Amino acid sequence: MLEIEDVTVRFGGVVALSAVSVRFDKPVNGIIGPNGAGKTTLMNVLSGFVRPASGRVSGDGEALLPLAPHRRAHWGLRRSFQKEEIADDLTVFENVLVQIDHSRSPARSKTAEVEAMLALVGMADRAGKIGAALSGFERRLTDVAKCLVGRPRLVMFDEPAGGMSVDESRQLGALIRQIHGATGAQVLVIDHDVELIRTICEDTLVLDFGRRIAFGPTAEVLDDPRVKAAYLGTEEV
Amino acid sequence: MRQLFHVTPSGWAGLGTAAFGILILPSLSNSYWLSVFTSMGCFLLAIAGVAFMYARLGMVSLTQVGLMGVGGWIALRLNHAFDFPFEVNLALAATATMIFGWILALPALRMRGLYLALVTLMAAGGLEIIFATFQFPNGGAGFWGVQTGSGAAFRRPWIAQSAQAYLRYVIACALLGFLCIELHRRLQPGRAWALIRRSEAAAMAAGVNVTLYKTWAFGIAGLLGGAAGALLAGSLGLLDDGTFRASESVMIFALAVVGGAHSWQGALVAAALYKVLPAVLNIWGVDANLSFVIFGAGLLHAVITAPQGIAGQLLDGLRRLSPKREARDA
Repeated sequence: MLEIEDVTVRFGGVVALSAVSVRFDKPVNGIIGPNGAGKTTLMNVLSGFVRPASGRVSGDGEALLPLAPHRRAHWGLRRSFQKEEIADDLTVFENVLVQIDHSRSPARSKTAEVEAMLALVGMADRAGKIGAALSGFERRLTDVAKCLVGRPRLVMFDEPAGGMSVDESRQLGALIRQIHGATGAQVLVIDHDVELIRTICEDTLVLDFGRRIAFGPTAEVLDDPRVKAAYLGTEEV
Repeated sequence: MRQLFHVTPSGWAGLGTAAFGILILPSLSNSYWLSVFTSMGCFLLAIAGVAFMYARLGMVSLTQVGLMGVGGWIALRLNHAFDFPFEVNLALAATATMIFGWILALPALRMRGLYLALVTLMAAGGLEIIFATFQFPNGGAGFWGVQTGSGAAFRRPWIAQSAQAYLRYVIACALLGFLCIELHRRLQPGRAWALIRRSEAAAMAAGVNVTLYKTWAFGIAGLLGGAAGALLAGSLGLLDDGTFRASESVMIFALAVVGGAHSWQGALVAAALYKVLPAVLNIWGVDANLSFVIFGAGLLHAVITAPQGIAGQLLDGLRRLSPKREARDA
């Protein structure tokens, strides 16, 4: 369970997040909002790249904000970036292995885990392929496998379906829905693609101008007139 | 484990080159070329360190020759103060320079790109002044150990007393240096570095301790530079501060780019340009400063047409000649 309390972030005079509080307790959750709503800022607060002016974040009851970014990864936080971050000169296998390199478990079990997760995302047959030779979708799948190794507790995707075909986006959605069952991790997805969010997320948080404007079961939230206003821009409601 | 000790075609070529250098090169060389090749071997080790930092992490270090000076100073100091065998002096000098590299890394790690390069250049400038002021120990009294007139003898390794044997010794050390880098590349640090070079944020998100691994890389460059300095001290018996000017560090980095930072062949080309080219010009009776003109042309050539350096171009050419071979054997 992920609890965010009163998180405020300011960049100079701009308030990127304004006292946002939310409690994610479903297996798959979404965050949506127009451009500049603060979605990625919130994810950066969770990852440790942005230090909030105030607020608390706890995952499974543990305070996350005091931890350095790499320590959060050791805790079980995983994230993918808008642009997948796959090292060109490492193989698919090595790109995934990096994520659990720090752990003290024996090499054999690490290898087995990486292989299992590559099989789950459907990249097992390309484990030896070098990063530079991968297609965009293969890179994204490798990135997903990287988020699944090392017993993750919270997996965050920042616009995972960006630049993908409808088919690939559907395939990725199906994969994201399997994560909780396969690893027990809670999943948080940010995307512009409302359809993707509608099909995979149970609860969804809507941000606009750094404020929480709605939160709850995805279908209800998407029908909320304030949410429609934020997206389509209507008169004041 | 199989992958760890797998020898690529490029690796076989490297081992072959080292075998040639150890078995055949010394018996072909007269005393002039023995000293040129020995000094080239020392700088090869140092260039390996600076090229490694650039290729693996994208970090520009302009203090490598300064680090060589630190290693050389420590080796000379130990040699004249104690009765340790050469190997102990070499190991201690390399280790101490590695620690020096770590200390240098601490303020430098907060910087990136140009700023990191400038900080390392300032360190090189500082070292240049220290070397010029205090000189290198030559058996004199006191901490700085400098006496006027001829210096005391420097003990070479007992298995490498002659100039030929010492050249073999230096080449073997350089080979060990390259193997050390390659071993790192294939293990956890290599994976961490690859990710750091891709993006520091992504590396942190993958649980990589970015500060630790960057510092580690500085340490390796220091280790190799320090060993190179100690070996150079062993070759000459004494060191001159003119060898370790900050401008030489800049030169070595530029040549590593010209040669190609991503492969051992590139480091070899760089070391040959740095040491063999002036020696050849010297024999031809041409002013050795002409080599600077050639270096400049080489740098332009590399920047404009050869991002992988001269070695990269040569390797590409070889691949084109043998189309059956796998494209990625490096």
